Amino acid sequence: MTDVRTPQSKPAQSPAEGTGEVTGPFGPNGTDATESGGGGTSVPLDASAGWLRWGWRQLTSMRTALILLFLLALGAIPGSILPQQGTDPASVQQYYASHPALAPWLNRLGLFNVFATPWFAAIYLLLFASLIGCVVPRTFKLVGAARTPPPRAPRNLKRLPHSTTYDSALPPDAAASAAAGILGAHRFRLRRPAAGDSGQWVSAEKGYLREVGNLLFHLSLVGILVSIALGGLFGYKADKLLVQGTSFADTVSALDETHFGRFATGSDLAPFRMTLDNFSASYITSGQNEGQPSSFKASVTYSATPGGPSRQGVIEVNHPLSVDSVKVYLIGHGYAPVFKVTGPGGTLAYEQATPFIPANTATMLSDGVVKAPNANLGFMGVFVPTAISDNGTLESVFPAANFPVVSLIGYSGNLGMNSGLSQSVYQLDTTGMTKVNGSPHVMLPGQTWTLPDGKGSITFVGVQQWVSLAITYDPGQVPALVFGILALAGLLLSFFIRRRRVFVRAVPAASGAGSIVTIGGLTRTDASGGFEEEFAELAFEIASTGTAPPGAAAPVAPAAVTAGDDNPEPDNQSETGA
Amino acid sequence: MFKAKRRTVVAVAAVAVVLLAGALAVTLTTGSGAQAGVSYLNGNPAERVYTAGDRPLAPDFTGTSLTGAPIKLASYRGKIVVLNFWGSWCPPCRDEGPTLAVLAEQYAPKGVAFLGDDVADTPANALDFTRSVGITYPSLSDPGYLIVQDFSQVVPVNDTPTTVVIDRTGHIAGMVLGKVSYATMVTLLSDAAVTR
Amino acid sequence: MPVNLGLAHASSDFMVAALLIYSLAVLAFAGDYAFGRPRRAVKAVVRTAEPAAALATVGANTAGAATVAEATAAAGTGDVAGGPAAPAAPGSATGGAGLPARPTGAFRATWEAGPWIRVAVMLSAVGMLAHLTAVITRGLAVHRAPWGNMYEFITALTCVAAIFFGYIVVRYRAWALGVFVMGAVVIALGLAETVIYTPAGPLVPALQSYWLSIHVTAMTLSTGIFFVAAVLGIMYLVAEWYRKRVAAGKAEPGNALLERIPTGAQLDKLTYRTVIFGFPIWTFGVIAGAIWADQAWGRYWGWDPVETWAFITWVIYAAYLHARATAGWRGARAHYIQLLGFASLVFNMLVVQVFITGMHSYAGVG
Repeated sequence: MTDVRTPQSKPAQSPAEGTGEVTGPFGPNGTDATESGGGGTSVPLDASAGWLRWGWRQLTSMRTALILLFLLALGAIPGSILPQQGTDPASVQQYYASHPALAPWLNRLGLFNVFATPWFAAIYLLLFASLIGCVVPRTFKLVGAARTPPPRAPRNLKRLPHSTTYDSALPPDAAASAAAGILGAHRFRLRRPAAGDSGQWVSAEKGYLREVGNLLFHLSLVGILVSIALGGLFGYKADKLLVQGTSFADTVSALDETHFGRFATGSDLAPFRMTLDNFSASYITSGQNEGQPSSFKASVTYSATPGGPSRQGVIEVNHPLSVDSVKVYLIGHGYAPVFKVTGPGGTLAYEQATPFIPANTATMLSDGVVKAPNANLGFMGVFVPTAISDNGTLESVFPAANFPVVSLIGYSGNLGMNSGLSQSVYQLDTTGMTKVNGSPHVMLPGQTWTLPDGKGSITFVGVQQWVSLAITYDPGQVPALVFGILALAGLLLSFFIRRRRVFVRAVPAASGAGSIVTIGGLTRTDASGGFEEEFAELAFEIASTGTAPPGAAAPVAPAAVTAGDDNPEPDNQSETGA
Repeated sequence: MFKAKRRTVVAVAAVAVVLLAGALAVTLTTGSGAQAGVSYLNGNPAERVYTAGDRPLAPDFTGTSLTGAPIKLASYRGKIVVLNFWGSWCPPCRDEGPTLAVLAEQYAPKGVAFLGDDVADTPANALDFTRSVGITYPSLSDPGYLIVQDFSQVVPVNDTPTTVVIDRTGHIAGMVLGKVSYATMVTLLSDAAVTR
Repeated sequence: MPVNLGLAHASSDFMVAALLIYSLAVLAFAGDYAFGRPRRAVKAVVRTAEPAAALATVGANTAGAATVAEATAAAGTGDVAGGPAAPAAPGSATGGAGLPARPTGAFRATWEAGPWIRVAVMLSAVGMLAHLTAVITRGLAVHRAPWGNMYEFITALTCVAAIFFGYIVVRYRAWALGVFVMGAVVIALGLAETVIYTPAGPLVPALQSYWLSIHVTAMTLSTGIFFVAAVLGIMYLVAEWYRKRVAAGKAEPGNALLERIPTGAQLDKLTYRTVIFGFPIWTFGVIAGAIWADQAWGRYWGWDPVETWAFITWVIYAAYLHARATAGWRGARAHYIQLLGFASLVFNMLVVQVFITGMHSYAGVG
């Protein structure tokens, strides 16, 4: 990370300082960070190595990080505005239909699957490379800084942003020791003059946790990325539509849709079996929220392994069922009217609860088809849970099956199911079929519709319900959470802990007994505030260890108080925030 | 200090190279190659032959037929069993039905038994189909894919139709992922007869 | 459990009352701008403890809230740092001569800021109480946390913004911000009450989870805080624009209104502190949302439009934090980024949740 120069220079760093002891209140550390892109100071480099080095510095600079962050945000925008293949493929198809010229170009740019495109991956991979390239050296630096003691106290503490002076009745060495005691009690790291040093002073430093938090946050982001990758590679997701009263085994052929990670296969599926015993959906029946669902509950019986003990379970929205290492979620529901179809000779050709798909989730008006290939009959229909007739059109006024009605259009002929090509269970291919009735035939439960010309009959027996379940396995889930919490902890540490230094110098008082004690303090960055109070509290405590002679005029250092107040970055090295 | 920076650059670069190499290695080595003992007919991975000695044991199942009669795999020991996973709602299954009917009749005197495993279906729908194409061998009623799951633990039964050929000792000798053809089945049945 | 209509009506009434009281408070803040005693008290916003100032022997008028530099200027011109604040630190200038003083009392300073400020702050406080009561009674009426749809979310977050502003006033004596922050609250609350109002009702099953209290609460809190930061950011840009005009000689420096705004540097610091207060809460809210998404939808992150925009908002605020540490990006540029972040947040709240279908479509609007 290139380090930042503040526009104003600190008074303490001016050449007029004249102490020669330190080049800045934060010591030599404050200045070694001033080398910027100029690649080393004195060593001439090989040309290509120099380019690599330049490139690396550019990548790990704050400016690049800023640009990459913007690109990341920008890149995510089309992923939220345009329909995405991964979550809503039907909408993508619709987009193609309504924007036939534009859609292929958007597809070439990967805008229908933004978060899986190479260019989006490039952005966040570069960002993470920049992050790692910045964080690793800083970790070494932190370890180094943690091992070096605080710098010696500057000679003129009055030039620091916060300072105060008071008279102490104690002699200089006692006053300094008392101050050291107070600071030590506040868990500052201390440094006292070595044997042979002149003057009585204390150097205290605190707040390394800030940088620890900063590094923890950034490294946790890497951890989150790895966890997401883990889930994406080894995890899987599957969907299953299950009709009330039926069961299924968790195996690829039973599942409606499966999405496996790169390294996951069908044999990784947890071998459980599950039966949907009952599903109940309750709705609000009166008042202004009439028709709004109030609860969905699926009762299941399952066994985690073939032949294992069977258990009862309940799956509700927000309450998935954990089976082994996978979770089973209740995603949706619908109605499956039960039909019986007989063929021309009266033989039973079809008898099954047929899932219909809701077209409108508020009213649960649903569409579906019935295919009876052996009787050469097919039906397209609409199921209306609570039906009223509005000028001849069937409408559903309430989502519960209070007054169920089906409306069917019949077709006879070859359904095309013997040709071998797969068909959707929810779609009827009417090419090669002839319509049986002109207008839809409406049926109540229990009614039978006998088709003309002896083609057969269909009976609307009753209504069942179905649920759609999602089965997911994500090994990166728990690690992602752990890293997320660590990132948050790091964030809090880095925002609210300041790295600060407090210096105390005691010189003998002019009057002989006692001493004049000057306390100075500064923070690396005071942007999060609060150091004024802390300094005031510390100064008060230190000063309380020695009382001033009554009536003495209190010397004051007004200039020091206002020095550099409005400058939030008293130092060269950039350390603000995350 | 300068050396420290060079060290960190080298360290980071080394880690990156190792990670990349690992990722590459993992990507390249997975998804390839069948297990030992499996060969593909005509190079088609949908038509598999398990050589004798490397044949996985077929899970012993019990169930009921579409007409309610009990069926147990163990009772077929000594015969070659062709187990066909199908459903009356599945067009490729319907397409291969006549082929299976013919094969069943042809191989019955040679000690080969054909069984169906009818999934996600109702007896009414299924029986109607079998009647219409002349399939006389029994099918298990397996609406919940339970037997499918048992077999999935051993061989890849991922879709319907899938046909598994089990030899006289109860081991899986071959399988077809998808619709069967007459010629393929003939080959698989003769391979299944080989037990060493 | 059916909705308690009596409490629901009470909630609406309290909300309207809060709106009216806040409007009066805004008028009072504006009145202070127009008619209040000229003072430089706002410069004291960022500096609270002045131990050395306490030791100054310059008059009794300069201890506590004023910087010593101001004090020396004040002694000359007669300006007073919000009145004699020294008595608020009794031990300072007198008996404990030689000892640094403790920070001075904030409520005292507010009281002494002048009659307009007194009235404005009191009205704001009463308004906050009414607002809080409205939010709580709404929650009691519907037997759940009162942030289950857009209306409830906005009323709750403006309550947070108002209370957070109250904290800033007390901590930093930032009365001059009153017009702007409370004005923005009034506008947002007005919108909520008129355009976005949704009658009290139970939640759909997808929202019936204790995570509502956690995730939406965190988002409400952080949005309220970012709201305040955005207002401060706009004020910063105005202050800087004015300062540049004065420096270029294009404007008379005696403009009373713009003189009262805190300096750009102080607003910059205050904005930063506000953002770093809100950013961890937003982060926590996103994490809590991910945990809830896993419970409800089977995956902890699916790039649902609202999720994506919450991520975009987070990235932009992260960019703001990075910008503040990058040469050439501090100052106005950083504030533009921060305002962009808030714009993204508002876009997420009002446009994405309402118009772009995804799994987050619970706004209950329309």
